[in-house]
Amino acid sequence: MKENMNSNDAKLGALLRESRESPSLPPRFQENVWRRIEDAESPLKSASWLDGLAALILRPRLAFATVAVLMLAGVLLGSHDGVQTARHDAQARYLAAVAPNSLR
Amino acid sequence: MNRSLVILLGALALGAAIFTGSYFAGQRACVMCQAQPADDLAWLREEFHLTDADMARVRQLHEGYMPQCAEMCAKIAVKKTELQTALDNGTNVTAAAQKKLIELGELRAQCQTQMLQHFVEVSQAMPPEQGRRYLAEMQKLTLGFHEEIEQSMSHPAGHEHHQP
Repeated sequence: MKENMNSNDAKLGALLRESRESPSLPPRFQENVWRRIEDAESPLKSASWLDGLAALILRPRLAFATVAVLMLAGVLLGSHDGVQTARHDAQARYLAAVAPNSLR
Repeated sequence: MNRSLVILLGALALGAAIFTGSYFAGQRACVMCQAQPADDLAWLREEFHLTDADMARVRQLHEGYMPQCAEMCAKIAVKKTELQTALDNGTNVTAAAQKKLIELGELRAQCQTQMLQHFVEVSQAMPPEQGRRYLAEMQKLTLGFHEEIEQSMSHPAGHEHHQP
C-alpha cells in the first residue's frame, strides 16, 4: 500500500514539473550572477578614485602635515614679500625727502 | 552631491584659506617689524649697511641739504603759478608764457644740479663701494624716469608724426 502511494507521488511530481513552463534565462545570466557576487564580496574594488583621494585626505597624519606645509609656505612667502614692501616704502620715503616729485 | 567630492572641495578651500591667512600674517608682521616711521634715512642704513659713524656724516649732509631743497621747491612752485597765470590769459602760448616756461626749466635744472651734488657728497660719506652703488641707484631713480619718458616719446609706436 505504502509503495503504491510513493510511486503515485513520483508520478505526480513528474507530471507537475512537465506542466510548469520554465522561463528562458537572459543571455550571459550565469556570468552576470558571478560578477555581482564578486562585486559584493570586494567593496573596495568598486570605490572610485575620488573616494580613494577623500579617504587619503581624511588621514590625520597627512592632514596635519599638509596644514603645516601650507602654513610654513604662506609665512615664508608673506615674510619675503613683506621685506620687499617695507624696503620699497623706506626707499620711497627717502626719495620723497631728497628728490621732490617735480624733479622726478 | 557626492560625499567624496564635498570632502575634496572642503579640503581645497580650507588649504587655500590656511595658506592665504599665513601669507598675510607673515607679510604684515614683516612690514610692521621693519617700519621705522620717524626716520627718512632708515633706508640708507639698511640698504647700504652703514655704521653709526657713516650715518652721522650722512645725516649731517642731509640736514644741511633739506633747507636748500625746500627753498628751490618754493621757487619752482611760485614759477609754476606764474606760468599757469600766463597760460590762463590767452588761448595761445604767448611770449610771456614761453619766458616763464624757460625760467621754470632753468629752476628745475638748478634744483636737479643741487640734488645730484648732494647725492655725490652723500656717496663720498659712505664706504667707497656702497657710495658708488648709492650714486648709481639715486641717478637711476631720479633721472631714469625722464629717460623712460624720452624713450617712449622717441619710439615710433609711442609718438607718431602723421604725414599729410
